[in-house]
Amino acid sequence: MDIFIFEAAGHYFGIEARYIYRIADGVVIVPVPLMPGCYEGLIYYRGDLFDVVDMGRLMENEVSTLHDDPYIILLKWNAGKLGLIPDRVVGMKWVEDNGGTGTVFNERGDVVKLMTPDEIWSKLAGLAYGT
Amino acid sequence: MSRTSIRNKLILSFLLLLLLLMMVIAAINRLTDDYYTAQAISVALALAAGAVFGGYFSKSIVRRLNSLSAVAREVSHGDLSKDIPLLSQDEIRDLEEVFASMVKDLREMISDIKNVAGRMEDTNRALSSLSEKVLVSSEEIDESAMAIAKGSEQQTMIVQKTSLVINNSLDQMDAAGRQSARTVSKINNALVKTATGETKARETLRYLDKVLGQIAENTKPIYRLSNKVDKIRMVMHVMDEVAQKTELLSLNASIEATRAGEMGKGFALVANEIRSMAENSKQSSQEIGRIVDDIFQDNKAVIEVLRKSEEDVGKGRGIITGMVGTFREMVSGVKEISAEVKAVEQVTLKQVKEIRGLLRHFEALSRLAQANFVSTQKTTVGTKNQKEGVQKIVELMQSLNALSEKMMASQRRFRLRGD
Repeated sequence: MDIFIFEAAGHYFGIEARYIYRIADGVVIVPVPLMPGCYEGLIYYRGDLFDVVDMGRLMENEVSTLHDDPYIILLKWNAGKLGLIPDRVVGMKWVEDNGGTGTVFNERGDVVKLMTPDEIWSKLAGLAYGT
Repeated sequence: MSRTSIRNKLILSFLLLLLLLMMVIAAINRLTDDYYTAQAISVALALAAGAVFGGYFSKSIVRRLNSLSAVAREVSHGDLSKDIPLLSQDEIRDLEEVFASMVKDLREMISDIKNVAGRMEDTNRALSSLSEKVLVSSEEIDESAMAIAKGSEQQTMIVQKTSLVINNSLDQMDAAGRQSARTVSKINNALVKTATGETKARETLRYLDKVLGQIAENTKPIYRLSNKVDKIRMVMHVMDEVAQKTELLSLNASIEATRAGEMGKGFALVANEIRSMAENSKQSSQEIGRIVDDIFQDNKAVIEVLRKSEEDVGKGRGIITGMVGTFREMVSGVKEISAEVKAVEQVTLKQVKEIRGLLRHFEALSRLAQANFVSTQKTTVGTKNQKEGVQKIVELMQSLNALSEKMMASQRRFRLRGD
């Protein structure tokens, strides 16, 4: 299967390519009040609203290292739509299908943690306001 | 009454007596016829008349002589108060008058002697008192002369010491005058050097203006280069954006190709190639960006250095402008100092001149004090001699006093009228 690999907070994360809707940039993120700290806001992209989260802060609770015009990885699946802001986009990689979870290694031997959009959503939903 | 000499008296008296005898004898001869009796009676009568007449005449002379002798005796005993009786008109009266005149002269002389002795005594007393006063005055003069001599000696010493101090002061003032002259010379040198410094500073200022102009001229290409580098960076930014968009496009193409499955694999390869190109382009762009950044940084550093140099030169210019002003003030100040030092020198020279005059006066004063000392020494000797002379005068006065007393004692032996 093809996975999309990106880097956030010094770790590599991979999401199955079929969940990736688009890589966007130059879109306006509208802040939403009373949301967790990693929640950056909402974007409107081609008729859809996406919740945008900072992956570094969500996964590792690191201080955001977002730059002015970051890439936003737009996920679209059955349950919803989500935008992820990585520190760096690595690209597509084909790996053996193992159900979309677990860990794989990239070309340099770094550990890449495979995640699904539901896991990311669940993690986001479990956060309280201000965390 | 006219004078009659004793001889005439005797002749007249004898003739009268003879006439009387002749008349008596004549009478007797008439009365008596006896011749012898008449002769004897006549002789007896003549002898008796001669004896009576002779006795009376001699007694008269002896009585007057005795009276004169008694007065002479009184005079010889010092009694000059008696008058000499002038009883006769004969030669004895001459003796009486001479004796009376002698007594009168003697009385006047004794009176004069008494007066002179009294005056001598008074004078002697006054002279003694005066001599004592002169002695006291001489002693006082001697003491004063000693004090003046001592004072003159001290004055001489003080004047000599003062002269020495003034001489030292004069030497120091001369040294100060010479130092002032040297200072004026050094100030003049400093003035020349300061003026030279001002000229050099002005030249440096002009040279710095020239350097500033050259720096400004040289900076222009660097500023132009900086502008060009900015333009390159803008182009690089555009290239970065293109590369980013290309990368984004390739990523989205890869995603779309993945979704397309087997049909999209070729497209995915193309997308990967495009992304690879975008990556390369991005890397090249980043590399160029780094180079441009380096150039920009170098250029910036050069501009900073130039600006710094310009600022430093500007500061240097300001400093040198200040130096020019300072040199100008220094020239003015040095001129003022020179004038002040010259004035001090003039005052010092005037003071030296006046103190030299003062020193001459002091030397004259010293000579005068020495002369005073000698004069007082002489005065001391003189007063000593005067004292001895006065003592001799006192001794003479004492002897004169003794003589006066003796004279008074001799005078007291005489008794005058009214004593």
